[in-house]
Amino acid sequence: MSSPMPSGSSSHTSSHTSWDNTTLFVDDDPADRAFRAEVRDWVAQNLPAELCNRSRRIDPPELKPWHAKLYARGWIAPHWPKQYGGMGATLTQQIILFEEISRVGAPTPYPHGLNFIGPLIIEVGTPEQKAKHLPPILSGEATWCQGYSEAGAGSDLASLATRAEPDGDGFVVNGHKMWTTNGHFADWMFALVRTDPKAQPRHAGISMLLIDLKSPGITVRPIQTIKGDAEFAEEFFVDVRVPRENLLGALNDGWKVANRLLGSERFTTGHPRNAAVILNKARQVAELTGTLHDAGFRTKLAALEIDLMAFSAYYRHAAALHGENRAPFSMAPVIKIVGGELGQRASELLVEAAGGYGPLAGDMTIGNHAVNPAAELFEMRRVTVGSGAVEIQRNIIAKRVLGLPS
Amino acid sequence: MDLLLTEPQSLFAETATRLAADHGGPRRLRALRAGGAEIDAEAWRAAIAAEWLATVVAEGRGGQGLGLFDLALALEQAGRQLLMVPLLEAAAAAWALSQAEDGARAAAALADLLRGSGLIVPATEAASWRYGGGSSGIRYDHRAGVLEGSLAFVAYGETADAFLVAIEQGAQPMLAVVARTDIGVSTKRNVDGSTSSTLSFAAVHVPAERLIATGAEARRLTLRLQEFLTLGAAAELVGLAAAALAVTLDYVKLRQQFGRPIGSFQVLQHRAVDGFVDIELDRSLVYRVLAAWDAGEHHPAMVAAAKARAARSALQVTRAALQMHGAIGYTEEHDIGLYYKRAMVLAARYGGELGQAGRFSDLTLAREPVP
Repeated sequence: MSSPMPSGSSSHTSSHTSWDNTTLFVDDDPADRAFRAEVRDWVAQNLPAELCNRSRRIDPPELKPWHAKLYARGWIAPHWPKQYGGMGATLTQQIILFEEISRVGAPTPYPHGLNFIGPLIIEVGTPEQKAKHLPPILSGEATWCQGYSEAGAGSDLASLATRAEPDGDGFVVNGHKMWTTNGHFADWMFALVRTDPKAQPRHAGISMLLIDLKSPGITVRPIQTIKGDAEFAEEFFVDVRVPRENLLGALNDGWKVANRLLGSERFTTGHPRNAAVILNKARQVAELTGTLHDAGFRTKLAALEIDLMAFSAYYRHAAALHGENRAPFSMAPVIKIVGGELGQRASELLVEAAGGYGPLAGDMTIGNHAVNPAAELFEMRRVTVGSGAVEIQRNIIAKRVLGLPS
Repeated sequence: MDLLLTEPQSLFAETATRLAADHGGPRRLRALRAGGAEIDAEAWRAAIAAEWLATVVAEGRGGQGLGLFDLALALEQAGRQLLMVPLLEAAAAAWALSQAEDGARAAAALADLLRGSGLIVPATEAASWRYGGGSSGIRYDHRAGVLEGSLAFVAYGETADAFLVAIEQGAQPMLAVVARTDIGVSTKRNVDGSTSSTLSFAAVHVPAERLIATGAEARRLTLRLQEFLTLGAAAELVGLAAAALAVTLDYVKLRQQFGRPIGSFQVLQHRAVDGFVDIELDRSLVYRVLAAWDAGEHHPAMVAAAKARAARSALQVTRAALQMHGAIGYTEEHDIGLYYKRAMVLAARYGGELGQAGRFSDLTLAREPVP
């Protein structure tokens, strides 16, 4: 049966009022436990120390050596089928890999190639597309970005206006993509583009194109975020030629192709650990600043810990159901809403815990590592907006789960 | 989400769903409340006949040897259907009696309880789970064999034939069955028609040979008994909140304003979704903690967390339900108010959100931070 205790329990988990809140309610069977131990040992020996517990985002180029190590070990794409170079791993194993890599504060690879376009190419790609694109995604040689949002198409994605017109044996693309994470580092973009401007409903006229960002006619401009770093970019397309062979799936079928990705790829991005790690920082900072003795702070901390515990229970429950192909439709939007909002509240508490240090533009040092409360706070503003704002997720649940009318 | 149930658990849950639906519901509660009844005798007979109490009693002691997880499947349905039955209290007493090392002393009372011929409900110190506050007002003098003082907030005190007095505080913890004829019972009515009793013990003679447990064993059983009650109430709250949400969804799909169903308005939709999400998380948490509890893992902070959150959500959902019903929700006539009132009772019973969250905070802040 399930146990609330983490499998790899260390000394501080022995007391009955303490547990590792980053791995609550783990469901490992004996094989999973062995795998967890194996990953833990390997990470300890192979992780470059300079990548641990960074207070700022790490850009894709700096992550490449770490990606290469995971690739060489065969662990870079646990969720891909073996025939394509993945592990064919169970969801539990995928979660274990994520947990053990992030446990020590190490970054996990960006999801755009490995979790988003890779699985889509495996599902609907041609043999040529698989042969061309999958190996460089695995090895980390190719960096990918997702070209969905536009200035006028955010939550209302189906209104996107970037056009791809048939021209000879390919398309000519004109338009503008925006809010593209890693757009300025990427070699390739998978983009939703309009191929039938007259189609009704609007999403019936959209196709998915794989675009080489080195093609003539593309201008990429980084966008500074509220944190002050350039996490995303915008791309201008002027008469960009894209060969027909770069159409993924059927023409005008792009909306359906994109929507194939709504389930398990949210499992690691929505992991309760993301909030737990920030919450634990808040606790440590509060001890340092003395805020921990503040009754108001303790009340907020307890409320967040309790919500985190409930979310952790939900998460394991969802993973177990997913493993039996019984996960309900509501699972992905629930994880997205709760994981995002919990992380956000934790980051707000972290800033409060820091008191006068909260608005500091630079790092503060806790023990032997740096914490930047303001950067964490800003970073967490993104999670309730990106890849479908939490309001959109609520609309989806209202209509498709609760059956409320339009 | 579906719980991951074994085949027998699924069957049990199905039976419980049917039984609760057949015997419960707002109309039934209304009738009982009008008649001043504390308990639905007919529904209780059905629960006894269905052997719900036996789930938590060991096989060697006349039960089925399942667990609180299994019982909670029925408790959730009892909450959903607003049942007026002492299922949680009687099951907690049965569990504690069956756990006593000296089984012989508890055997007769346990057998009567399981058969439905003698209702026993727990009476324990409310202060120990921050339910009512204040220090314990009861003492047991081991030498004289005398109980003196009072215990407050006892549920089903009007109907109970006897009380399982469980004291864990002080130097002399004890567990004993005390007949109602030996004590004073003063009962007050709650807003939903249920009751809350204060038991008065005026030099009640409980000789040592009648004690079911003493010392460390009594302390352990009492703490676990309190956790049992706390978790059980959380399971009932999950069912109750889900039912209140379902009633509300039906209403907002039908009720028309501005020429369209009010359920088409985004503000109401999002409020309903928040209730749905909270209930989903609560159900996962409660059943995870129940599974751990059944496995003998002792996590008092997790128990507190489960109750704190279930209480908060149920009150939030029922308050939102009233608001979404508009003026009709403010009437005595409409059923939605019954869910709100029951949520108030179950939220407060065995420790409300603030008390349990405070308890959680005290228990966990001693913890070392994760490296």
